[in-house]
Amino acid sequence: MSLTIYGQQLNNRMLIGSALYPSPEIMKNAILASGSQVVTLSLKRQNPQSQGGQQIWQYIQDIVQQHQGYLLPNTAGCKTAKEAVTLAKMSREIFNTDWIKLEVIGDDYNLQPDPIELLVATEQLIADGFKVLPYCTDDLVLCQRLYDLGCQVIMPWASPIGTGKGLMNPYNLETIRLRLPNATLILDAGIGKPSDACLAMEMGYDGILLNSAIALADNPVNMAKAFALALEAGEQGYVSGVMQERQTAHPSTPTLDTPFWHHPGA
Amino acid sequence: MNIFINGHQFDLNNQATVADALSAFLSKEQQKLSFAVALNSDFIGKDNYSDTALSAGDSLDVLFPIQGG
Repeated sequence: MSLTIYGQQLNNRMLIGSALYPSPEIMKNAILASGSQVVTLSLKRQNPQSQGGQQIWQYIQDIVQQHQGYLLPNTAGCKTAKEAVTLAKMSREIFNTDWIKLEVIGDDYNLQPDPIELLVATEQLIADGFKVLPYCTDDLVLCQRLYDLGCQVIMPWASPIGTGKGLMNPYNLETIRLRLPNATLILDAGIGKPSDACLAMEMGYDGILLNSAIALADNPVNMAKAFALALEAGEQGYVSGVMQERQTAHPSTPTLDTPFWHHPGA
Repeated sequence: MNIFINGHQFDLNNQATVADALSAFLSKEQQKLSFAVALNSDFIGKDNYSDTALSAGDSLDVLFPIQGG
């Protein structure tokens, strides 16, 4: 079970967020239970007197170092390409990585990505040496444009961030998979339950990125394990070749020599 | 001159640089923490703090790592 992100092979298909957990300790245990090697985080203004952020940062550093993991900074909260590019550069300096989860939000109501600004930011960041993981809608042409710009990884949403609504448009997601067979596709945002992850893997997606579904579960650590199992199940289902759906019923039990009925005249 | 650091107004001398502004905003211990800086929404690398001059009304953002999804 491996996932390759910009040439880096990982032994797990889950990318996990570090926000919204009931406590830093639960966050740490949930991330470890998930098996994920990629942890997302962000940058924000903070009162330097506050030690809360530094403690979380220390926790995340410890987790990543212990498990040969990777940091994936995001550009959450950015609404223009310029803001996102600036935040990406700041993140690269602090986190010493050229990976960036690129978020450029176009609407506050559903936190829908702005496709125009996203493309502008992607082009600038790739030119500056970044390895961009764009968070985008499930629009095939947008995904194609991102791929054409040089994004090896593309991350369409399942549904709006934090809704837990799961895969709103399976047809769109399947079409992206079909039309971009060589892109690394990671389903990002809106995942609510393990079966959503399983379905994404059965579609042939390469991985998932999630946060709320684990952090907001009654038992985040156990839910992280559930998602890991769901990913494994979905991947095995995909590689095993799912049967063709049929319009009519076909008996599973052999009908030859069926006793008792179908007697002439009965 | 007055500048803004994370939205708060600071009064600095007219020759102040980004490094001076950070000294006004952060203690020496806090300056050892992980942070990054943008001046008027443009990234300023650590190597340029001392030679980047400020002007009245400038806005400095000093950002720290936090959890994120």
